[in-house]
Amino acid sequence: MRIQMEFLGLSRLASGAKRITLDLETGTTFRDIVRLLATRYPAMIGNVIQPDSETLQPPNVFNLNAKRMIQASQMDESPSDGDRIILMSISAGG
Amino acid sequence: MHGYSGKILHIDLPTHKTWTETKPEAWYKTYIGGVSMASRLCWENIEAGCDPLSPGNTICIAGGLFAGTPVPVGGKYGMASKSPLTEFIGDSLSGSWMAVSLKRAGWDGIVVHGSSDEWARIFIDDDKVSIHDASHLLGLTTTETEEAIRDEYGDDQVRTACIGPGGENLVRVANVSNDGRKAGRTGQGAVWGSKKLKAISIRGTGGVNVADPETLLQLSYDILQAAQGPHTQKYRILGTSSNVLNMNKLGLLPTRNYQQGVFEHAELVSGEYLHEHYKAKTIACAQCPIACEQVGHVKEGPYAGAMGHIEYESLYALSSNCGVSDMEASIQAITNCNELGLDTMSTGVTISWAMECYQKGIFTKEDFKCEKYPEGFEAEFGNGEAMVTLTEMMAHREGYMGNLLAEGTKRASAKLDEERGTESHQWAMNIKGLECPGYDARTLKTFSVGLAAGVRGGCHNRSAAYDPDIKGWVDRFSVDETRGELARSTEEYAAVYDTLPLCKFIRRCFTGKADREGAWPAIAKLINATTGWDFGYEEVDLIGERAHTIKKAFNIREGWTREDDHLPWRWQHEPMKEGPSAGYVVTHEELEYLKDIYYKAKGWTEEGLIPKEKLAELGMEDVAEEIGV
Repeated sequence: MRIQMEFLGLSRLASGAKRITLDLETGTTFRDIVRLLATRYPAMIGNVIQPDSETLQPPNVFNLNAKRMIQASQMDESPSDGDRIILMSISAGG
Repeated sequence: MHGYSGKILHIDLPTHKTWTETKPEAWYKTYIGGVSMASRLCWENIEAGCDPLSPGNTICIAGGLFAGTPVPVGGKYGMASKSPLTEFIGDSLSGSWMAVSLKRAGWDGIVVHGSSDEWARIFIDDDKVSIHDASHLLGLTTTETEEAIRDEYGDDQVRTACIGPGGENLVRVANVSNDGRKAGRTGQGAVWGSKKLKAISIRGTGGVNVADPETLLQLSYDILQAAQGPHTQKYRILGTSSNVLNMNKLGLLPTRNYQQGVFEHAELVSGEYLHEHYKAKTIACAQCPIACEQVGHVKEGPYAGAMGHIEYESLYALSSNCGVSDMEASIQAITNCNELGLDTMSTGVTISWAMECYQKGIFTKEDFKCEKYPEGFEAEFGNGEAMVTLTEMMAHREGYMGNLLAEGTKRASAKLDEERGTESHQWAMNIKGLECPGYDARTLKTFSVGLAAGVRGGCHNRSAAYDPDIKGWVDRFSVDETRGELARSTEEYAAVYDTLPLCKFIRRCFTGKADREGAWPAIAKLINATTGWDFGYEEVDLIGERAHTIKKAFNIREGWTREDDHLPWRWQHEPMKEGPSAGYVVTHEELEYLKDIYYKAKGWTEEGLIPKEKLAELGMEDVAEEIGV
């Protein structure tokens, strides 16, 4: 399956990319995508991705198709072909 | 008593009399500091029903419990008065060295009464208070004013809060400035201007007496260490302006006066673009190890020299919401607001209202005549120079348009509709008269009731109910029975931070978890080490409920009714046409249901009034006597 991945904020600075296309095996989970990003962009580890390279560093989060945030408990679910995943970190307060 | 001096300073401007009020420890345990204590001082000192710009209004300043201590991000103070925008409680918060000076001068708060006949400034030199002529400071920008007073004393430890020309001219969206930070919202600067008070300066040379210095130092050190880690990295590197692209992707970025939620040029006004092309430095508030504030600098072109403090809320209001994709114009407009003493949010939203009037043909070029453009100018969305010029016109009430917009969207639209028979109130984006923040609430259903019921009007910092919506803890597109409790819970969570006050950006640095369970026990330890009290989870949680309740009580005394908890007409009647939020509004039925379940969660009546028993539970028996039901 093919998905579009967009980087905002720190993930964009760490990757040096605004968006990439990922060709993935059907059934690839969001957690697998974190692992893949950790391998491809080691600069994300420690700020966007947790040191275990398995999970995102809160409050970084995957957003699916601008509609749904993928919660920590949903990281073993899979995106679908044609999906757009946005890696973002919301700021709030002050 | 540790952590406090026990003294509130009262200053009567017309007579120059000053006096000290002492408060019992129980009063401090109930109201703590920041916006809660400032609001309580309003309750005690403001004549109910007064005109906010009359001598009957008072300026109430409350220090921070942790100001002057080693506690990170504790250098803040709260300021409150009756708002000239909402005519309800107007409270604002600012990170500032003035908060530290206030504490070190030996005062827990200041109440300024009456109005001066001539322009004046106040100098508090530890326990000595004097009032001076300020006529030579008139017309100076906020930075110039702070520098002039500092030079006069030859002491850079004299810290000043002041107004700019906006406040002098009674612009209702004017703010109060200190150290480049602002008590920004609800028009506090206009209240200062109405009293002919240009500045308050403080030199504090004393220490702060805390109960357990050793423990407080260790706790503070641990927080300081955590604040250098990943929990705050996004704030340190990009600041809040990184929210521009986040909100744009979610279809929530106010665009062209909230007509759209997606801005086609968002990349050009994003935090990322600012970081790459215009970032000069980051700066920090007093006692802050995070330093989130991004300073943008324009080096060439028509706005060369502009240097503004760029936050997300300033940026959405003075870029996408005006349809402007020129970052340099945005930095100039924000710089103007900073220096002329205007709230960037209310200013930007009021300008975007005018641009929509122009778009609809209600305003024409001639309506925008000013000294700079004697024939007027085209005020269409996207015109950066028009946006910049309008900030100047508002601050000086210049021309027909400057004078109209200086009133804010609620009053400007009412005046226009009366004069020309228009319906411009339908796109006047305010709640209770305070202009809305940078989150379109049509698809943030929990936030919609947080905003509607917000005691100071359209504000994201007091409600915080956008958190569960945006972070996906609930379905932001729909309403269910959980939202009343969520709105209550997030609002009171925010109120704890605003009362101590502590910057909310520290919230993950206590234990790594930002929720109550993660933060409250740690905050209780800080309070206890400072005061010697025995606060636990429950006592910390009550801080937020009490803070919110005293503000609500103030509003009820001013005549608040359920109908005042409203949303802008647009959010209830006009769905967006494009983007992830297309097709949604908050219907009348949804909002009324949300208000019902929110009032229930608060323990209030169906009409949103507070039962006497509830107030008694909170230790507010005297408030119950006046407004309890």
